[in-house]
Amino acid sequence: MVSYDSSEGPGSRSGVSSSGFFARTVLNSDHKRIGTSYLWLALGSVLLGMFLSLLMRIHLVWPSVQIPFLNGFGDDPARYTSLTLWHGSLMIFLVLTTAPQAGFGNYFLPLQIGAREMAFPAMNLFSFWTTAASLVGMTCAFLVHPEAGITLWTASVALFCLAALLTALNFSVTTLDLRACGMTLPRMPLTVWGWFINAILSLLIFSILLAACVFLLSDRLLGSQFFSPLTFLSRQPAPLAQSTLLSLWQRLFWFFAQADVYVAILPCFGIVSHLLSTFSRKRVWSERAAVLALCGVGVFGFCIWGQHMFSSGLNPWSPLVFSLLASSLGLPACVLVLVWFGTLWKAKIQLNTAMLFALGFVSLFLAGGVSGLFLARNDLASAAISNDFVTGHFHLVMGVAATFAILGALFFWFPKIFARRLNESLGKVHFWLTFAGVYCVFMPMHWLGLMTHSRIAGGDFTGAAPLDSSLRTFITVATILTVAAQAIFVVNFVGTLWRGRKSEERNPWQATTLEWTVSSPPPSGNFGASEPVVYRGAYEFDTSAVSEDFTAQNLAPNAPEAGRQARRIAKFIAKET
Amino acid sequence: MPGSTIVEDIELIIEDIGGGGGNRPPGGGDDGEGGKRRGPQSPSSRRYATAIILAILSIVMFFMAMASAFIFLRATSKLWVPLRLPWLIWVNTAVLLLSSGVMELARRRLALADIQRFRNLWSAATLLGVLFLIGQLAAWRQLIRAGFYVATNQASSFFYIFTGLHGLHLLGGLCALFYVAFRRFERAKVSRTVAAEVASYYWHFMDGLWIFLLALLYFGK
Repeated sequence: MVSYDSSEGPGSRSGVSSSGFFARTVLNSDHKRIGTSYLWLALGSVLLGMFLSLLMRIHLVWPSVQIPFLNGFGDDPARYTSLTLWHGSLMIFLVLTTAPQAGFGNYFLPLQIGAREMAFPAMNLFSFWTTAASLVGMTCAFLVHPEAGITLWTASVALFCLAALLTALNFSVTTLDLRACGMTLPRMPLTVWGWFINAILSLLIFSILLAACVFLLSDRLLGSQFFSPLTFLSRQPAPLAQSTLLSLWQRLFWFFAQADVYVAILPCFGIVSHLLSTFSRKRVWSERAAVLALCGVGVFGFCIWGQHMFSSGLNPWSPLVFSLLASSLGLPACVLVLVWFGTLWKAKIQLNTAMLFALGFVSLFLAGGVSGLFLARNDLASAAISNDFVTGHFHLVMGVAATFAILGALFFWFPKIFARRLNESLGKVHFWLTFAGVYCVFMPMHWLGLMTHSRIAGGDFTGAAPLDSSLRTFITVATILTVAAQAIFVVNFVGTLWRGRKSEERNPWQATTLEWTVSSPPPSGNFGASEPVVYRGAYEFDTSAVSEDFTAQNLAPNAPEAGRQARRIAKFIAKET
Repeated sequence: MPGSTIVEDIELIIEDIGGGGGNRPPGGGDDGEGGKRRGPQSPSSRRYATAIILAILSIVMFFMAMASAFIFLRATSKLWVPLRLPWLIWVNTAVLLLSSGVMELARRRLALADIQRFRNLWSAATLLGVLFLIGQLAAWRQLIRAGFYVATNQASSFFYIFTGLHGLHLLGGLCALFYVAFRRFERAKVSRTVAAEVASYYWHFMDGLWIFLLALLYFGK
């Protein structure tokens, strides 16, 4: 295969390596550097967030256990809620929104489309440090007094929105304008499609949350009354007033938040499709349908915020509309699942750790997605959005599934980023323990939710109380074991970085996309002196071939194929002139 | 390799169509950025236009969220007290519209390569922009003198928030205008034409956005 030499190309900034420590680390706007920084940020956040979830589960089951974090500020019960908020903000913003998009995307989007840099490197650097600042803000918000904490939290979220908007702008412009010669839209890998559609979606929704945060900050700092209780109390009975009051914030918030689920999951769809194809050694089955489905997820995801507001006094018709829209999301999801199974069908599957995580994603996505259909029904959901069912649902389909995609991506791209390979046996043990663990944690939550629901609906569940509490204990024990299993991953990760064998192999997985044609780690400027040229689609695998079963995207076509292409180009020119 | 000649042919053809990383116009883009040239513009200049269009899309969403909150509260809130807009706002609007018009005249001069007249007109447009901002601050003063603060009632909150955020976005536009007016483009990454074009997209958008917000505040009071 054609590969690019690592000599200094015209785009490489040789000045960077000779300048000082500060310029090399803090001010280095190289997209690979920024991508890895985002990944470190996400790794730190996920470990912290996991620890917090452990504290919460322990507190739920054994409330008498003294937890150092929970008894500040006079043992306020609100401490538990703010702990939940801290856990949620870290996981949603800094892990699920950041890692697949800003982390892997920053690193591999330019490489996969044959660009040397993001469109606006300085802006990229600014977004990274803004994101880091928002992480610090969200963490400090928990440690200061609650009243000041909420203001600080809102300001941090506003900062995060700003950073996410700039990142999204950067991603979409890079994809639109910086593709290498020959990298037409149909030839883009599905990962790039995922990042691109996601960037467009982020561009639209993060500004909504930013607007909501501006209102909230103005209320808290300038004394305006956008979300004021006084607005409605005079006119309506108190409980109704309360719900109407919240409904403005709810609308703005859910408009963002429901779509943010897809912001987290869209790049994961891309990554998983990519991994499944690479390790099945097969073309993605009906790739166009997959791209359309990704677009469909983006469009539907944008329109279903009302799904969270069935019980907030909407117009009676609107739940029907939102319910229909939310259920229609099943359509592109089904297409994606079909595409994945079609890709796996009769394939020579290589069951390494990255592939296992991709398959785990499919399983979790299916299991979590099915419970989503229940929540999309307005009659069921409004009767009892019992917390446990929802918690189980979204942790399974959004949190854990996305984490599996992130881990798969990490195992897949680790050799490219660090020029070392993670240990496969440790990885597999980690996978199976985590896979079993998350099902043990989140499946019983669905049952808990259904039990609560039946009790509200008037079913006879007098005997269920002990079952209920033993289920909760089971969940907590499973959580402790699953979190403990992550130690294997940490050992694997740190151990490989510290003592792992260096391998400069360019293409250990025999993959087709452009990032595998450059040395590991890719040099500054990515492609050396020559410009990458792309001749074919992203998933050209052919197991019947004698020597190599894959064709890299930058491999020039052989004679007959080239003749065909030349004739097509000649015809195109004739038409143009 | 047997097909190498054909391959070279294809690469030549592709370069003809307008792609590939062959020879670039000197100073045309930040050197060595990979990408393809489809039209007359080099990729580095096209990215600015793309970026500003996408940014405008995002800013529209931002203000739409605010506008929908305005409409929602206007319809449901009991606390709503109609607000009399300060008269200065109408003068400011005229100034901003004038600024946009002058900018178009300036761009026409630029198209004729009349750099001197372009500079003068562009500076005039920039000055009008600064005047608008000062005028907005004066309008705030008018309101404050009349006893309306941010926290007085919801209508006044919306007035300050809308004008403030629009002013903030406009300030960014002013920076771009100053850039085009004072940058020595012989050494810049972008050409003057592209910079002026991109800045003007944003400036006209600020114009339209202001008209929209003003209409909302006026008819929704």
